[in-house]
Amino acid sequence: MWASASFVGVLIIIGLPLWWKTTEVYRVSLPYDKISSFDTLSHSITTELTVLANDDATATEIISKILNAFKDSDVTKLRITKSLISKQLLSTLDAVADEHEAVEEVGAVYDLTKHNTFYVVQRKPLFQDTWLAGDRVMFFRDAKASNTVAEALKRVVYQTSVVEGARSETADAARQTRFPPGAGYHIVLSVVHPRPDALKVDLNAGDAVEDYIGSFVDEMSVLHNFTLKSQWLHLLDFDFQAKEIKDTSDWGRHYAVRQDRLHLLLTKLEERTATHVSELPTINLALYAVPCERAPLVIYDSNDKKVESHVQAFMSPKWGGVVVGGPSEADCRDSSPVWKPNVRVIMGTFISQLRKLLGITDAVHVNGAHLEPLRSVTPRQWEIDNLLRIRTLEQLTSAERTLQSLAQLLGEISNIVINDEVGASINSAVESIQRASELMSHGDLVQAYNMSQSAFLAAETAFMEPSLLALLYFPDDQKYAIYIPLFLPIMFPVVLSLKNLILWFRGKPVHKEKTE
Amino acid sequence: MDFLRRFLSYCIFFTFFLCVRCDEFREELFFKPLPSTHLYSYFQFVTLVDSEVSSFHSHLAPRSLAEVVSRFQVEELHLTLTEGQWRHHQWGYPVLDAAPGAELYAWFSPDVTDVDTQWKKLSATLSGLFCASLNFIDSFNTVTPQMALWPMGAVKSSQNVTSQLRYASLPREIVCTENLTPWKKLLPCESSRGFSALLNSRMIHNTNYHSVGVHVRKVCKSSDCLETQLEFKQTVALIYDYDIIKSNDWSFRKLFGQGLPGACPLSTDSKIYVDVTSNSTQPFTLSPPPDNIILSQRGRTDTKLAVYNIHPDGKMINIGVKHKTKSQIPVSIHPPLFFNRYVLGYGKEFGGIVTEITNNCLAPINVVVLENAPWWLPIQLSTLRVNGEAESKLVQSQYYSPGRSRQKPYHLELLIKLPPKSTTTITIDFEFVFLKWQEYPPDANHGFYIGSALISANLPTARNYTSLPITGTTFDSVINDTKLWYPIVFRTNGAMVSLPTPDFSMPYNVICLACTVVALAFGPLHNICTKELVLKPSGTSLSLTQKLLNLFKKKKD
Repeated sequence: MWASASFVGVLIIIGLPLWWKTTEVYRVSLPYDKISSFDTLSHSITTELTVLANDDATATEIISKILNAFKDSDVTKLRITKSLISKQLLSTLDAVADEHEAVEEVGAVYDLTKHNTFYVVQRKPLFQDTWLAGDRVMFFRDAKASNTVAEALKRVVYQTSVVEGARSETADAARQTRFPPGAGYHIVLSVVHPRPDALKVDLNAGDAVEDYIGSFVDEMSVLHNFTLKSQWLHLLDFDFQAKEIKDTSDWGRHYAVRQDRLHLLLTKLEERTATHVSELPTINLALYAVPCERAPLVIYDSNDKKVESHVQAFMSPKWGGVVVGGPSEADCRDSSPVWKPNVRVIMGTFISQLRKLLGITDAVHVNGAHLEPLRSVTPRQWEIDNLLRIRTLEQLTSAERTLQSLAQLLGEISNIVINDEVGASINSAVESIQRASELMSHGDLVQAYNMSQSAFLAAETAFMEPSLLALLYFPDDQKYAIYIPLFLPIMFPVVLSLKNLILWFRGKPVHKEKTE
Repeated sequence: MDFLRRFLSYCIFFTFFLCVRCDEFREELFFKPLPSTHLYSYFQFVTLVDSEVSSFHSHLAPRSLAEVVSRFQVEELHLTLTEGQWRHHQWGYPVLDAAPGAELYAWFSPDVTDVDTQWKKLSATLSGLFCASLNFIDSFNTVTPQMALWPMGAVKSSQNVTSQLRYASLPREIVCTENLTPWKKLLPCESSRGFSALLNSRMIHNTNYHSVGVHVRKVCKSSDCLETQLEFKQTVALIYDYDIIKSNDWSFRKLFGQGLPGACPLSTDSKIYVDVTSNSTQPFTLSPPPDNIILSQRGRTDTKLAVYNIHPDGKMINIGVKHKTKSQIPVSIHPPLFFNRYVLGYGKEFGGIVTEITNNCLAPINVVVLENAPWWLPIQLSTLRVNGEAESKLVQSQYYSPGRSRQKPYHLELLIKLPPKSTTTITIDFEFVFLKWQEYPPDANHGFYIGSALISANLPTARNYTSLPITGTTFDSVINDTKLWYPIVFRTNGAMVSLPTPDFSMPYNVICLACTVVALAFGPLHNICTKELVLKPSGTSLSLTQKLLNLFKKKKD
């Protein structure tokens, strides 16, 4: 019996744990409890709002209306400071006629350049209920405008629904359009020139990109790094399958392109734009120069209605924008036609597309609230603040979801290896997530954004690390091909002897009827 | 008249156009009948851009390549993908020689400190760009040539160029259409117009030899070289066999399957050169007749070139050659320098590589021979013999860097002075190495390729020499270019060895057999150890199984 026991001892008590230990998949210990405790819907951002009114009653009235309006939104937490306008500022505000000058006067007293702050200032001589431009200041007339103030803050300045969409499970319209978050983007302007022999395009693409797009993205440098590029794609001929339609213009005709044909142009462009050589995501902007014999090209919508627009353009979410331009009738009458594109209009169109692609949503109209239209390429200050909020939340929730799904995968698939590097980046992502949510609740938006970005990038690198898959394709049948011939014949008698062994341990007679 | 007017308008249009952008694109095509029955056609597409602005804003230059060059701070880059073997002794010399398979070498800017990492990243990026297996380039197949390669472009004279150079070749790489398509996309006219429209993959992969190349270098903008330009040169070299096209009268339609649909509208200059020197011995006519015929004297070699200027008018052009007499096989005269390389030995233990270099000139020639053996083929310097001698006077200088298993290849460079009218034989022995079972390539019994050796020479004569001078960008720089020396880098033929290859199913068989034996032995052993014999008193009641067993026993009896 001792022999039997020693076989069991060697094979089962020493052998099995040894086998278990040597065939174990290498995994660094991970903070699973922290990962599983992430609640993506609980994040909120604290933001500072200062209400400046002429008298205390108005300020209280305004604040109560604002608090009421933001009661049901848990994503933006307002930290409201109430104060009265100083006598000096009041007199100057009343004295200046122009609102922009008034903003400057407010800016002289208060710091309007700080991120995540906003000022609601009373200004008596106002024609509308509220007035808002590019700076972090909104004017209102009196206490009667309090409803409009609250509404405009909620729907225009803070855009709570879009911010909430950034952390939700399903993507809303804005998230479907904008690029996924990233440390930087390449913006490539491709001038598509199908007939260089028949038309000359007089455009310095490099300068146009640097001048217009450059000054736009400079303002957004707090969010991402941008690299601007331009290229020409010659002889890329796309068949629009346009129908000629007679009209009363100088040309006497126009070519109608159905909207549903346009996405095929993107496929054609993708062949040549060489976006894959960039290390960062690329935002494509394409200017298609229609040759004389195909001009002017007009886009028709799905109901066969002309799209009434100054510029023929369309946008593809998460890809980029296309402007279709062409020479005028007078240009084409020349024997060697030259088209000088209207750079200001074309670049303006590209910028309006870029705004959406980068995540700035168009402001909704609120009754009684006046919003100054954009006059330059630069985005509004409060739009950038809002974008910071959206991106912070988006990166944070995305990082959390990535880690959660990684943890879930690790539970489901036992073959995944987690080496030290992946473990380190998961740990740093978890740490950054915690830091970022603390910073968010303190209202330190720019820091929180940077922290959430590092969390996002760390989580993505951990998830995309190819070493995770090192053992994934090690098939089970090959394992059994080794185990079965060795283990089955050996373990069979050993396991069977266990029964006798147990009986023997209990002191019962073992060989009752076994042998003759 | 209409044509002339249109042509003038193009000229005006392009001169204006180019001054604004200051980048130029030229396309050239060169034909040369080669001895015995072959025809050499060489396409060259050159884009010149100002190096300051090129990487971010490109007009005619390929943005993808410009971006790769600027991102990895590459000063000069040469990539060739070749199928087939150039026969130097028979065909003479190509414009640019290329090793069979894939070959990549690059000089990085002096600012790059970690050249090896940049090199790895560069090869991985180019692998994606050209759909080639360049990602297999690693430290174990990369060498830094000390003497054999020098930059073709403009470099500062004070710069240490050798330490920034990396060279690798993948002789096993198979070149096909998937490499040609991305290559065509780098051209401003892509393949829709211009000479690149002739590159019909169905026809060009039907040749004896084809080589696709991308070369980026810096060239001087003016003679004082204060400003440099970036030159992107894309080349295709094809060798057609008259036996394949079934006659020695060739035409575009026979060679490429179609005519030439005019020049690329973006090119400043589109020219076709046909070497008509052999017209005196083998009379033929060109149709349509060339625009002019140039007599070029290079050294003491006379070359006659027929030149066609092609205009971007979209007219189909079909240039062809008709021989007056039936085909005669011309006598091939050996070029000034030719070479051969082969593997020695039998069995699976030792072997040797022999490189024979023949100097056919009346003057001695200095050559640098670079032998680059992979780590699994250790070459031993002690076995190096030049013409059978261990200490040869011919060897002027020598560089040897021993390899390291799985990390570094063996690298030997010899500067040899070849005596006139002689053949020099360089022999070096190697031993075969057992690889780990995962290191064998698929189909390991096919054999293992050894990369070409590089032979870099300064030829004293321009006979058979077709390369452009180092300062030249376009083909017209060849005309009357007499120099003291004609530098050229050759690639010898590759070789193949068969390494000891195991039976790959053996480990599994061994496991199964060993396990069965262990299992068979274990059963009785376990039984003997654990069972004990116990005496059983007779007359005890029998269990049911015992009764059944007894029943069988009785029947047997």
